Amino acid sequence: MSIQNLNTFDPFADASKGADDDVQDGLVHIRIQQRNGRKTLTTVQGLSSDYDLKKIVRACKKEFACNGTVIEHPEYGEVLQLQGDQRENICQWLTKSGLAKPDQLKVHGF
Amino acid sequence: MTEEDAIFDASLKKKKKKKKGYDFDAALAEGDNQESALQADLDMEKKDEDDDGNVDIDLDFTKKKKKKKKPFNMEELEGALPETKDDETAENVNPEEAVVDDNLDLELDFSKTKKKKKKKKDLDELMAEVDEKQDDKENVDDNSIQWLGSDRDYTYDELLNRVFEIMRDKNPDMVAGKKQKFVMRPPQVVRIGTKKTSFANFTEICKTLHRQHKHLLDFLLAELGTSGSVDGNNQLIIKGRFQQKQIENVLRRYIKEYVTCHTCRSPDTILQKDTRLFFLQCETCGSRCSVASIKSGFQAVTSKRAAIRAKTA
Repeated sequence: MSIQNLNTFDPFADASKGADDDVQDGLVHIRIQQRNGRKTLTTVQGLSSDYDLKKIVRACKKEFACNGTVIEHPEYGEVLQLQGDQRENICQWLTKSGLAKPDQLKVHGF
Repeated sequence: MTEEDAIFDASLKKKKKKKKGYDFDAALAEGDNQESALQADLDMEKKDEDDDGNVDIDLDFTKKKKKKKKPFNMEELEGALPETKDDETAENVNPEEAVVDDNLDLELDFSKTKKKKKKKKDLDELMAEVDEKQDDKENVDDNSIQWLGSDRDYTYDELLNRVFEIMRDKNPDMVAGKKQKFVMRPPQVVRIGTKKTSFANFTEICKTLHRQHKHLLDFLLAELGTSGSVDGNNQLIIKGRFQQKQIENVLRRYIKEYVTCHTCRSPDTILQKDTRLFFLQCETCGSRCSVASIKSGFQAVTSKRAAIRAKTA
């Protein structure tokens, strides 16, 4: 038999999650790297680990018609890597899908 | 420095001209040159000092016109002239004024520098501008401190004008629609072969920004995600193909983050390192804030993995 009033309840349980229910905290760094010739590589670092990056990359690959992968990095966690210059695309896509706010995106590179 | 001065002059001229537009229209319409208008002003001042009861204020140009005809005897003119000179020199010495001049240009406009370079060649034009600027300065000052010598009451309008003039002088970017411009030379970017890019005036740009080579170098390489180094001719060699436009973009971002003050946007700042953190200290407004450290972040493998393995093994 359990008495409801005596249940322990942590009032700050969801305080660590932030004020409004967005999972993304901290900046998302979007970088570009040059490869050989005019080929480039776009990396997306800092997406919250609460997201399923594999699903994200699957959606991105389909959306931008490029290849991509998720790379596990000891310091930076999971990093998304897409072929080609997808900086514009990924910014739009992340904001449109509500995964990150525009002011959380930081685009590097030229 | 002379080039910079020229640029500043050009903008100053524009700015001051506007003021002249409404203040001295009437006087100019008379067809007199500015000197005579100025002396008329000074004479006015004396008059005002004479009769203190005269609270009626001087932006009234109809009065001036009448008076202008009166005091053109040579003695008074000569008496007035040295006074203006004094004013002028005082202004030139005044450090605040100098600071304002330095501040004047804050938008990173690489394209405009080219235009202005052409202008520089024209020395006559330059001199004319300088003259005009000085004249304008005198005029403005006369206008704002007209009551200083006298003990008559100042009016609301006068004070209002004065406040706005001071505000405009001290921080020109605050006035709506008038952005500060920070003019610098565009980076000279040349391709070396197919795989490398040279940034020829790298050290020069470091000097104009008052930043250490290492800091700017770190930033550029981290942002571009490549490697590079400064060679013997003080030019920066970057791996990869980059165009001038792209380097300009990165430089612009650097200036925004590490050169201009975050509070007053003045480029007159010092970057200090304090317990592993970089602090940006503004010389104009005295604010001090920390700036983001330079991190290159995650770097994907772009070269041949076999080559890396060969290197490490």
